Amino acid sequence: MNEIPVIISRLSESFLLNCRLFALTLLFSLPLGLLIAFGSMSRFYPIRWLVRTFVWIIRGTPLMLQLIIIYFGPGLMSLAFSWPSGTSGRFVAATVAFIINYACYFSEIFRGGIESIPKGQYEAGQVLGMTKRQIFFNVILLQVVKRILPPVGNEVITLVKDTALARIIANKEIIMMAGEYTSKGLIWPLFATGIYFLVFVGVLTLLLGWLEKKLNYFRA
Amino acid sequence: MTILEVKDIEKRFGPLQVLDNISFSLVKGETLAIIGSSGSGKTTLLRCINFLERPDKGSIIVNKEVIFDAMDPATQRESEVRKKRLHFGLVFQNFNLFPQYTVLKNVTLALELLAKEHPDYKQEKKAIMEEIQDRARTLLSQVGLSDKLDYYPHMISGGQQQRVAIARALALEPDILCFDEPTSALDPELTGEVLKVIRNLAERNTTMIIVTHEMDFARDVADRVIFMDEGVIVEQGRPEEVFGNPKEERTRQFLTRYNQK
Repeated sequence: MNEIPVIISRLSESFLLNCRLFALTLLFSLPLGLLIAFGSMSRFYPIRWLVRTFVWIIRGTPLMLQLIIIYFGPGLMSLAFSWPSGTSGRFVAATVAFIINYACYFSEIFRGGIESIPKGQYEAGQVLGMTKRQIFFNVILLQVVKRILPPVGNEVITLVKDTALARIIANKEIIMMAGEYTSKGLIWPLFATGIYFLVFVGVLTLLLGWLEKKLNYFRA
Repeated sequence: MTILEVKDIEKRFGPLQVLDNISFSLVKGETLAIIGSSGSGKTTLLRCINFLERPDKGSIIVNKEVIFDAMDPATQRESEVRKKRLHFGLVFQNFNLFPQYTVLKNVTLALELLAKEHPDYKQEKKAIMEEIQDRARTLLSQVGLSDKLDYYPHMISGGQQQRVAIARALALEPDILCFDEPTSALDPELTGEVLKVIRNLAERNTTMIIVTHEMDFARDVADRVIFMDEGVIVEQGRPEEVFGNPKEERTRQFLTRYNQK
Protein backbone atom coordinates (compact mmCIF):
# COMPACT_ATOMS: atom_id res chain seq x y z
CA MET A 1 0.00 0.00 0.00
CA ASN A 2 2.78 2.44 0.80
CA GLU A 3 3.86 1.90 -2.77
CA ILE A 4 1.14 4.25 -4.01
CA PRO A 5 2.85 7.58 -3.24
CA VAL A 6 6.07 6.32 -4.81
CA ILE A 7 4.28 5.28 -7.99
CA ILE A 8 2.44 8.56 -8.20
CA SER A 9 5.57 10.58 -7.77
CA ARG A 10 7.34 8.55 -10.46
CA LEU A 11 4.38 8.98 -12.83
CA SER A 12 4.37 12.73 -12.17
CA GLU A 13 8.07 12.96 -12.80
CA SER A 14 7.79 11.13 -16.12
CA PHE A 15 4.85 13.32 -17.13
CA LEU A 16 7.24 16.27 -17.00
CA LEU A 17 8.86 14.81 -20.11
CA ASN A 18 5.49 14.93 -21.87
CA CYS A 19 5.09 18.55 -20.74
CA ARG A 20 8.57 19.54 -21.91
CA LEU A 21 8.08 17.90 -25.28
CA PHE A 22 4.69 19.62 -25.59
CA ALA A 23 6.04 23.09 -24.76
CA LEU A 24 9.10 22.86 -27.02
CA THR A 25 7.07 21.51 -29.91
CA LEU A 26 4.58 24.37 -29.69
CA LEU A 27 7.27 27.00 -29.27
CA PHE A 28 9.07 26.02 -32.46
CA SER A 29 6.40 24.46 -34.66
CA LEU A 30 4.12 27.51 -34.67
CA PRO A 31 6.67 29.90 -36.23
CA LEU A 32 8.06 27.13 -38.46
CA GLY A 33 4.52 26.37 -39.55
CA LEU A 34 4.04 30.00 -40.60
CA LEU A 35 7.24 29.81 -42.65
CA ILE A 36 6.07 26.60 -44.32
CA ALA A 37 2.69 28.22 -44.99
CA PHE A 38 4.42 31.08 -46.83
CA GLY A 39 6.45 28.52 -48.78
CA SER A 40 3.32 26.64 -49.81
CA MET A 41 1.80 29.91 -51.04
CA SER A 42 4.95 31.07 -52.83
CA ARG A 43 4.45 32.51 -56.28
CA PHE A 44 7.70 30.79 -57.29
CA TYR A 45 6.55 27.38 -58.49
CA PRO A 46 9.62 25.26 -57.52
CA ILE A 47 9.44 26.44 -53.90
CA ARG A 48 5.73 25.87 -53.73
CA TRP A 49 6.10 22.38 -55.20
CA LEU A 50 8.96 21.46 -52.89
CA VAL A 51 7.18 22.68 -49.77
CA ARG A 52 3.87 21.05 -50.67
CA THR A 53 5.61 17.74 -51.41
CA PHE A 54 7.34 17.90 -48.05
CA VAL A 55 4.03 18.61 -46.29
CA TRP A 56 2.46 15.68 -48.14
CA ILE A 57 5.22 13.32 -46.97
CA ILE A 58 5.04 14.45 -43.36
CA ARG A 59 1.25 14.38 -43.20
CA GLY A 60 1.16 11.18 -45.21
CA THR A 61 3.24 9.03 -42.89
CA PRO A 62 2.71 8.06 -39.25
CA LEU A 63 4.40 10.23 -36.66
CA MET A 64 5.57 7.02 -35.03
CA LEU A 65 7.51 6.10 -38.16
CA GLN A 66 8.95 9.59 -38.42
CA LEU A 67 10.24 9.33 -34.87
CA ILE A 68 12.03 6.09 -35.70
CA ILE A 69 13.48 7.39 -38.97
CA ILE A 70 14.68 10.63 -37.44
CA TYR A 71 16.27 8.87 -34.50
CA PHE A 72 17.84 5.89 -36.25
CA GLY A 73 18.13 7.28 -39.77
CA PRO A 74 21.35 9.26 -39.45
CA GLY A 75 23.22 6.36 -37.86
CA LEU A 76 21.91 3.76 -40.32
CA MET A 77 22.84 5.91 -43.30
CA SER A 78 26.22 6.35 -41.62
CA LEU A 79 26.05 10.08 -41.98
CA ALA A 80 28.58 12.26 -40.28
CA PHE A 81 25.77 13.47 -38.07
CA SER A 82 24.21 11.37 -35.35
CA TRP A 83 22.21 12.06 -32.23
CA PRO A 84 24.05 12.16 -28.93
CA SER A 85 23.67 8.86 -27.14
CA GLY A 86 21.56 8.47 -24.03
CA THR A 87 18.45 10.20 -22.79
CA SER A 88 19.19 13.68 -24.08
CA GLY A 89 19.78 12.44 -27.63
CA ARG A 90 16.51 10.53 -27.63
CA PHE A 91 14.65 13.53 -26.30
CA VAL A 92 16.14 15.95 -28.81
CA ALA A 93 15.37 13.57 -31.68
CA ALA A 94 11.77 13.21 -30.50
CA THR A 95 11.43 16.99 -30.18
CA VAL A 96 12.75 17.55 -33.70
CA ALA A 97 10.36 14.96 -35.13
CA PHE A 98 7.41 16.50 -33.30
CA ILE A 99 8.31 20.04 -34.37
CA ILE A 100 8.53 19.09 -38.05
CA ASN A 101 5.35 17.02 -37.93
CA TYR A 102 3.27 19.65 -36.15
CA ALA A 103 4.69 22.54 -38.19
CA CYS A 104 3.31 20.85 -41.31
CA TYR A 105 -0.17 20.51 -39.85
CA PHE A 106 -0.10 24.08 -38.54
CA SER A 107 1.11 25.36 -41.91
CA GLU A 108 -2.06 24.13 -43.59
CA ILE A 109 -4.21 25.76 -40.93
CA PHE A 110 -2.28 29.01 -41.37
CA ARG A 111 -2.57 28.84 -45.13
CA GLY A 112 -6.32 28.39 -44.92
CA GLY A 113 -6.55 31.28 -42.46
CA ILE A 114 -4.40 33.63 -44.50
CA GLU A 115 -6.24 32.83 -47.73
CA SER A 116 -9.60 33.44 -46.06
CA ILE A 117 -8.84 37.11 -45.35
CA PRO A 118 -10.62 39.28 -47.95
CA LYS A 119 -8.44 40.86 -50.62
CA GLY A 120 -9.85 44.24 -49.65
CA GLN A 121 -7.86 44.20 -46.41
CA TYR A 122 -4.58 43.95 -48.35
CA GLU A 123 -5.72 46.57 -50.83
CA ALA A 124 -6.74 48.98 -48.09
CA GLY A 125 -3.25 48.65 -46.64
CA GLN A 126 -1.64 49.08 -50.04
CA VAL A 127 -3.45 52.28 -50.93
CA LEU A 128 -2.45 53.66 -47.53
CA GLY A 129 1.19 53.20 -48.52
CA MET A 130 1.96 50.24 -46.25
CA THR A 131 4.60 47.69 -47.18
CA LYS A 132 3.67 44.03 -47.61
CA ARG A 133 5.33 43.29 -44.30
CA GLN A 134 3.44 46.05 -42.49
CA ILE A 135 0.19 44.85 -43.99
CA PHE A 136 0.80 41.28 -42.87
CA PHE A 137 1.87 42.05 -39.32
CA ASN A 138 -0.38 45.06 -38.62
CA VAL A 139 -3.53 44.17 -40.50
CA ILE A 140 -3.75 40.51 -41.49
CA LEU A 141 -2.12 38.47 -38.72
CA LEU A 142 -4.49 39.14 -35.85
CA GLN A 143 -7.50 38.47 -38.08
CA VAL A 144 -5.90 35.17 -39.08
CA VAL A 145 -5.21 34.26 -35.46
CA LYS A 146 -8.82 34.90 -34.55
CA ARG A 147 -10.07 32.71 -37.39
CA ILE A 148 -7.72 29.78 -36.87
CA LEU A 149 -7.90 29.59 -33.11
CA PRO A 150 -10.42 26.69 -33.01
CA PRO A 151 -8.52 24.40 -35.43
CA VAL A 152 -5.18 25.29 -33.82
CA GLY A 153 -6.73 24.44 -30.47
CA ASN A 154 -7.63 21.03 -31.86
CA GLU A 155 -4.04 20.38 -32.91
CA VAL A 156 -2.69 21.59 -29.59
CA ILE A 157 -4.94 19.17 -27.73
CA THR A 158 -3.95 16.33 -30.04
CA LEU A 159 -0.31 17.19 -29.37
CA VAL A 160 -0.75 16.68 -25.62
CA LYS A 161 -1.71 13.07 -26.20
CA ASP A 162 0.72 12.49 -29.06
CA THR A 163 3.64 13.20 -26.74
CA ALA A 164 3.09 9.64 -25.46
CA LEU A 165 4.47 8.43 -28.82
CA ALA A 166 7.93 9.56 -27.76
CA ARG A 167 8.27 6.22 -25.94
CA ILE A 168 8.81 4.57 -29.34
CA ILE A 169 12.41 5.78 -29.20
CA ALA A 170 12.67 4.98 -25.50
CA ASN A 171 11.83 8.36 -24.02
CA LYS A 172 10.59 7.55 -20.56
CA GLU A 173 7.35 9.43 -20.68
CA ILE A 174 4.35 8.68 -18.50
CA ILE A 175 2.82 5.76 -20.42
CA MET A 176 6.17 4.02 -20.71
CA MET A 177 6.64 4.50 -16.99
CA ALA A 178 3.22 3.06 -16.26
CA GLY A 179 4.00 0.20 -18.61
CA GLU A 180 6.81 -0.91 -16.34
CA TYR A 181 4.24 -1.50 -13.60
CA THR A 182 1.89 -3.23 -16.00
CA SER A 183 4.57 -5.74 -16.86
CA LYS A 184 4.91 -6.41 -13.14
CA GLY A 185 1.19 -7.11 -13.02
CA LEU A 186 0.01 -3.76 -11.69
CA ILE A 187 -2.51 -2.21 -14.06
CA TRP A 188 -3.87 0.84 -12.19
CA PRO A 189 -0.88 3.14 -12.87
CA LEU A 190 -1.64 2.86 -16.58
CA PHE A 191 -5.24 3.83 -15.96
CA ALA A 192 -4.08 6.68 -13.77
CA THR A 193 -2.08 8.25 -16.62
CA GLY A 194 -5.40 9.14 -18.20
CA ILE A 195 -6.05 11.53 -15.36
CA TYR A 196 -2.84 13.43 -16.10
CA PHE A 197 -3.80 13.91 -19.74
CA LEU A 198 -7.36 14.83 -18.84
CA VAL A 199 -6.30 17.50 -16.38
CA PHE A 200 -3.74 18.96 -18.77
CA VAL A 201 -6.24 19.11 -21.62
CA GLY A 202 -8.83 20.58 -19.26
CA VAL A 203 -6.53 23.45 -18.38
CA LEU A 204 -5.70 23.99 -22.07
CA THR A 205 -9.38 24.04 -22.98
CA LEU A 206 -9.99 26.78 -20.44
CA LEU A 207 -7.02 28.73 -21.75
CA LEU A 208 -8.14 28.42 -25.36
CA GLY A 209 -11.65 29.50 -24.42
CA TRP A 210 -10.24 32.52 -22.63
CA LEU A 211 -8.13 33.45 -25.66
CA GLU A 212 -11.09 33.10 -27.97
CA LYS A 213 -13.11 35.37 -25.72
CA LYS A 214 -10.25 37.88 -25.65
CA LEU A 215 -10.36 38.09 -29.44
CA ASN A 216 -14.10 38.54 -29.45
CA TYR A 217 -13.76 42.30 -29.18
CA PHE A 218 -13.73 42.56 -32.96
CA ARG A 219 -15.45 40.80 -35.81
CA ALA A 220 -13.66 39.54 -38.86
CA MET B 1 -3.28 73.69 -63.02
CA THR B 2 -3.43 70.13 -64.33
CA ILE B 3 -2.72 67.73 -61.52
CA LEU B 4 -3.44 64.40 -63.19
CA GLU B 5 -3.07 63.24 -66.74
CA VAL B 6 -4.12 59.78 -67.81
CA LYS B 7 -2.95 58.87 -71.31
CA ASP B 8 -4.12 56.03 -73.52
CA ILE B 9 -4.68 53.50 -70.74
CA GLU B 10 -5.45 50.00 -71.92
CA LYS B 11 -6.20 46.99 -69.77
CA ARG B 12 -7.06 43.42 -70.66
CA PHE B 13 -8.09 40.54 -68.46
CA GLY B 14 -7.20 37.62 -70.69
CA PRO B 15 -9.16 38.00 -73.90
CA LEU B 16 -11.42 40.63 -72.35
CA GLN B 17 -10.57 44.23 -73.13
CA VAL B 18 -11.69 46.13 -70.03
CA LEU B 19 -10.19 49.52 -70.79
CA ASP B 20 -9.44 50.87 -74.22
CA ASN B 21 -7.65 54.07 -75.01
CA ILE B 22 -8.67 55.94 -71.88
CA SER B 23 -7.38 59.50 -71.68
CA PHE B 24 -8.47 62.32 -69.45
CA SER B 25 -6.99 64.97 -67.22
CA LEU B 26 -7.91 66.56 -63.96
CA VAL B 27 -7.35 70.09 -62.72
CA LYS B 28 -6.44 70.75 -59.10
CA GLY B 29 -9.56 71.29 -57.00
CA GLU B 30 -11.81 69.67 -59.55
CA THR B 31 -14.39 66.99 -58.85
CA LEU B 32 -14.74 64.41 -61.59
CA ALA B 33 -17.60 61.94 -61.63
CA ILE B 34 -17.34 58.76 -63.66
CA ILE B 35 -20.66 57.16 -64.53
CA GLY B 36 -21.66 54.15 -66.58
CA SER B 37 -23.31 50.79 -66.20
CA SER B 38 -21.77 47.86 -64.34
CA GLY B 39 -18.93 46.28 -66.26
CA SER B 40 -18.12 49.44 -68.17
CA GLY B 41 -14.61 49.57 -66.69
CA LYS B 42 -15.07 52.43 -64.21
CA THR B 43 -13.78 50.53 -61.23
CA THR B 44 -10.88 49.01 -63.15
CA LEU B 45 -9.86 52.49 -64.25
CA LEU B 46 -9.83 53.68 -60.66
CA ARG B 47 -7.83 50.60 -59.62
CA CYS B 48 -5.28 51.28 -62.37
CA ILE B 49 -4.79 54.82 -61.14
CA ASN B 50 -4.23 53.48 -57.62
CA PHE B 51 -1.74 50.81 -58.73
CA LEU B 52 -4.05 47.98 -57.75
CA GLU B 53 -4.09 46.86 -61.38
CA ARG B 54 -1.29 47.28 -63.86
CA PRO B 55 -2.40 48.79 -67.17
CA ASP B 56 -1.08 47.06 -70.30
CA LYS B 57 -0.58 50.33 -72.12
CA GLY B 58 -0.52 54.01 -71.39
CA SER B 59 0.88 56.35 -68.80
CA ILE B 60 -0.18 58.27 -65.72
CA ILE B 61 1.26 61.65 -64.92
CA VAL B 62 0.84 63.47 -61.61
CA ASN B 63 2.13 67.01 -61.18
CA LYS B 64 4.06 66.64 -64.44
CA GLU B 65 5.91 63.60 -63.08
CA VAL B 66 5.40 60.36 -65.01
CA ILE B 67 4.48 57.98 -62.21
CA PHE B 68 3.49 55.13 -64.47
CA ASP B 69 4.44 54.22 -68.01
CA ALA B 70 3.61 50.78 -69.30
CA MET B 71 6.63 50.93 -71.63
CA ASP B 72 9.07 51.93 -68.91
CA PRO B 73 9.69 49.27 -66.21
CA ALA B 74 11.65 51.81 -64.18
CA THR B 75 8.34 53.44 -63.27
CA GLN B 76 6.94 50.17 -61.94
CA ARG B 77 9.42 49.23 -59.24
CA GLU B 78 7.65 47.91 -56.18
CA SER B 79 9.57 50.13 -53.75
CA GLU B 80 8.61 53.27 -55.64
CA VAL B 81 5.06 52.27 -56.39
CA ARG B 82 4.44 52.35 -52.68
CA LYS B 83 5.40 56.00 -52.41
CA LYS B 84 3.62 56.92 -55.62
CA ARG B 85 0.42 55.48 -54.27
CA LEU B 86 0.43 58.24 -51.70
CA HIS B 87 -0.50 60.73 -54.42
CA PHE B 88 -3.88 59.03 -54.34
CA GLY B 89 -6.38 58.07 -51.71
CA LEU B 90 -8.99 55.41 -52.35
CA VAL B 91 -12.31 54.88 -50.63
CA PHE B 92 -13.68 51.42 -51.37
CA GLN B 93 -17.21 50.30 -52.00
CA ASN B 94 -16.96 47.91 -49.02
CA PHE B 95 -15.10 50.35 -46.74
CA ASN B 96 -12.40 47.78 -45.92
CA LEU B 97 -11.84 49.15 -42.45
CA PHE B 98 -9.44 47.17 -40.27
CA PRO B 99 -11.80 45.29 -37.94
CA GLN B 100 -9.38 44.84 -35.04
CA TYR B 101 -8.70 48.56 -34.65
CA THR B 102 -10.84 51.33 -33.23
CA VAL B 103 -12.18 54.08 -35.43
CA LEU B 104 -9.35 56.37 -34.29
CA LYS B 105 -6.66 53.74 -34.84
CA ASN B 106 -7.99 53.00 -38.32
CA VAL B 107 -7.23 56.60 -39.21
CA THR B 108 -3.86 56.81 -37.45
CA LEU B 109 -2.33 53.41 -38.32
CA ALA B 110 -0.86 54.26 -41.72
CA LEU B 111 0.41 57.61 -40.46
CA GLU B 112 2.11 55.96 -37.51
CA LEU B 113 3.78 53.37 -39.71
CA LEU B 114 5.01 56.06 -42.08
CA ALA B 115 6.25 58.16 -39.16
CA LYS B 116 8.31 55.22 -37.90
CA GLU B 117 10.33 55.30 -41.10
CA HIS B 118 11.23 58.91 -40.46
CA PRO B 119 14.83 59.39 -39.25
CA ASP B 120 13.83 61.69 -36.37
CA TYR B 121 11.16 59.33 -35.16
CA LYS B 122 12.99 58.09 -32.06
CA GLN B 123 13.79 61.53 -30.64
CA GLU B 124 10.44 63.09 -31.37
CA LYS B 125 8.21 60.10 -30.96
CA LYS B 126 5.86 61.74 -28.50
CA ALA B 127 5.35 64.94 -30.45
CA ILE B 128 4.86 63.04 -33.70
CA MET B 129 2.32 60.67 -32.17
CA GLU B 130 0.38 63.53 -30.64
CA GLU B 131 0.29 65.36 -33.92
CA ILE B 132 -1.03 62.25 -35.65
CA GLN B 133 -3.72 61.77 -33.01
CA ASP B 134 -4.76 65.41 -33.35
CA ARG B 135 -4.95 65.20 -37.09
CA ALA B 136 -7.07 62.05 -36.90
CA ARG B 137 -9.42 63.58 -34.35
CA THR B 138 -9.86 66.67 -36.49
CA LEU B 139 -10.66 64.59 -39.55
CA LEU B 140 -13.08 62.40 -37.66
CA SER B 141 -14.90 65.42 -36.32
CA GLN B 142 -15.05 66.75 -39.89
CA VAL B 143 -16.93 63.61 -40.92
CA GLY B 144 -19.12 63.86 -37.82
CA LEU B 145 -17.72 60.96 -35.80
CA SER B 146 -16.12 62.62 -32.81
CA ASP B 147 -18.24 60.52 -30.49
CA LYS B 148 -17.21 57.19 -32.05
CA LEU B 149 -13.42 57.33 -31.71
CA ASP B 150 -13.16 54.26 -29.50
CA TYR B 151 -15.74 52.16 -31.30
CA TYR B 152 -14.78 49.16 -33.37
CA PRO B 153 -15.96 48.99 -36.99
CA HIS B 154 -18.57 46.29 -36.33
CA MET B 155 -20.25 48.53 -33.74
CA ILE B 156 -21.13 51.33 -36.14
CA SER B 157 -23.40 51.56 -39.18
CA GLY B 158 -22.27 51.19 -42.77
CA GLY B 159 -22.61 54.91 -43.37
CA GLN B 160 -20.46 55.64 -40.34
CA GLN B 161 -17.90 53.06 -41.45
CA GLN B 162 -17.67 54.68 -44.85
CA ARG B 163 -17.15 58.06 -43.22
CA VAL B 164 -14.28 56.57 -41.18
CA ALA B 165 -12.84 55.23 -44.44
CA ILE B 166 -13.00 58.73 -45.92
CA ALA B 167 -11.21 60.19 -42.89
CA ARG B 168 -8.62 57.40 -43.13
CA ALA B 169 -7.93 58.24 -46.78
CA LEU B 170 -7.77 61.98 -46.07
CA ALA B 171 -5.28 61.49 -43.23
CA LEU B 172 -2.48 60.87 -45.71
CA GLU B 173 -3.32 64.12 -47.51
CA PRO B 174 -3.49 62.65 -51.01
CA ASP B 175 -3.35 64.93 -54.03
CA ILE B 176 -6.33 63.15 -55.48
CA LEU B 177 -9.01 61.33 -53.53
CA CYS B 178 -10.77 58.51 -55.37
CA PHE B 179 -14.12 56.97 -54.51
CA ASP B 180 -15.21 53.60 -55.86
CA GLU B 181 -19.00 53.55 -55.65
CA PRO B 182 -18.87 54.80 -52.07
CA THR B 183 -22.58 54.34 -51.41
CA SER B 184 -23.34 51.15 -53.35
CA ALA B 185 -22.97 48.88 -50.33
CA LEU B 186 -25.17 51.06 -48.12
CA ASP B 187 -28.83 50.92 -47.24
CA PRO B 188 -30.64 53.76 -49.03
CA GLU B 189 -31.26 55.67 -45.81
CA LEU B 190 -27.52 55.76 -45.08
CA THR B 191 -26.29 57.08 -48.42
CA GLY B 192 -27.21 60.67 -47.55
CA GLU B 193 -24.72 61.07 -44.73
CA VAL B 194 -21.84 59.81 -46.88
CA LEU B 195 -22.79 61.96 -49.86
CA LYS B 196 -22.97 64.96 -47.55
CA VAL B 197 -19.37 64.40 -46.47
CA ILE B 198 -18.23 64.11 -50.07
CA ARG B 199 -20.19 67.24 -50.97
CA ASN B 200 -18.38 69.09 -48.17
CA LEU B 201 -15.06 67.97 -49.55
CA ALA B 202 -16.02 69.24 -52.98
CA GLU B 203 -16.91 72.61 -51.50
CA ARG B 204 -13.43 72.73 -49.94
CA ASN B 205 -11.99 72.13 -53.41
CA THR B 206 -10.63 68.68 -52.72
CA THR B 207 -9.47 67.10 -55.97
CA MET B 208 -11.63 64.02 -56.40
CA ILE B 209 -12.56 61.25 -58.79
CA ILE B 210 -15.88 59.66 -57.91
CA VAL B 211 -17.15 56.50 -59.55
CA THR B 212 -20.83 56.49 -58.75
CA HIS B 213 -24.31 55.30 -59.59
CA GLU B 214 -25.87 58.31 -57.85
CA MET B 215 -26.77 60.38 -60.90
CA ASP B 216 -28.37 63.28 -59.06
CA PHE B 217 -25.36 63.53 -56.82
CA ALA B 218 -22.91 63.44 -59.76
CA ARG B 219 -24.89 66.13 -61.51
CA ASP B 220 -24.89 68.27 -58.40
CA VAL B 221 -21.38 67.93 -57.12
CA ALA B 222 -19.15 67.19 -60.08
CA ASP B 223 -17.37 69.84 -62.10
CA ARG B 224 -16.98 67.35 -64.89
CA VAL B 225 -18.57 64.05 -65.81
CA ILE B 226 -17.18 61.12 -67.77
CA PHE B 227 -19.57 58.53 -69.16
CA MET B 228 -17.97 55.15 -69.82
CA ASP B 229 -19.33 52.18 -71.72
CA GLU B 230 -17.60 48.92 -72.64
CA GLY B 231 -14.20 50.17 -71.61
CA VAL B 232 -14.14 53.44 -73.50
CA ILE B 233 -14.93 57.02 -72.61
CA VAL B 234 -18.04 57.74 -74.65
CA GLU B 235 -18.56 61.29 -73.57
CA GLN B 236 -17.16 63.81 -71.15
CA GLY B 237 -18.07 67.33 -70.28
CA ARG B 238 -19.76 69.60 -67.74
CA PRO B 239 -22.60 67.88 -65.89
CA GLU B 240 -25.22 70.16 -67.46
CA GLU B 241 -24.04 69.05 -70.89
CA VAL B 242 -23.69 65.33 -70.22
CA PHE B 243 -26.92 65.03 -68.26
CA GLY B 244 -28.94 67.79 -69.88
CA ASN B 245 -27.93 67.52 -73.46
CA PRO B 246 -25.93 64.37 -74.18
CA LYS B 247 -24.27 64.32 -77.57
CA GLU B 248 -23.93 60.57 -77.88
CA GLU B 249 -26.72 58.11 -78.43
CA ARG B 250 -25.23 55.63 -75.89
CA THR B 251 -25.19 58.27 -73.18
CA ARG B 252 -28.81 59.10 -73.91
CA GLN B 253 -29.83 55.46 -73.69
CA PHE B 254 -27.99 55.00 -70.43
CA LEU B 255 -29.57 58.05 -68.82
CA THR B 256 -33.04 57.12 -70.04
CA ARG B 257 -32.68 53.65 -68.58
CA TYR B 258 -31.50 55.23 -65.37
CA ASN B 259 -34.41 57.62 -65.11
CA GLN B 260 -36.90 54.81 -65.54
CA LYS B 261 -35.66 53.15 -62.37
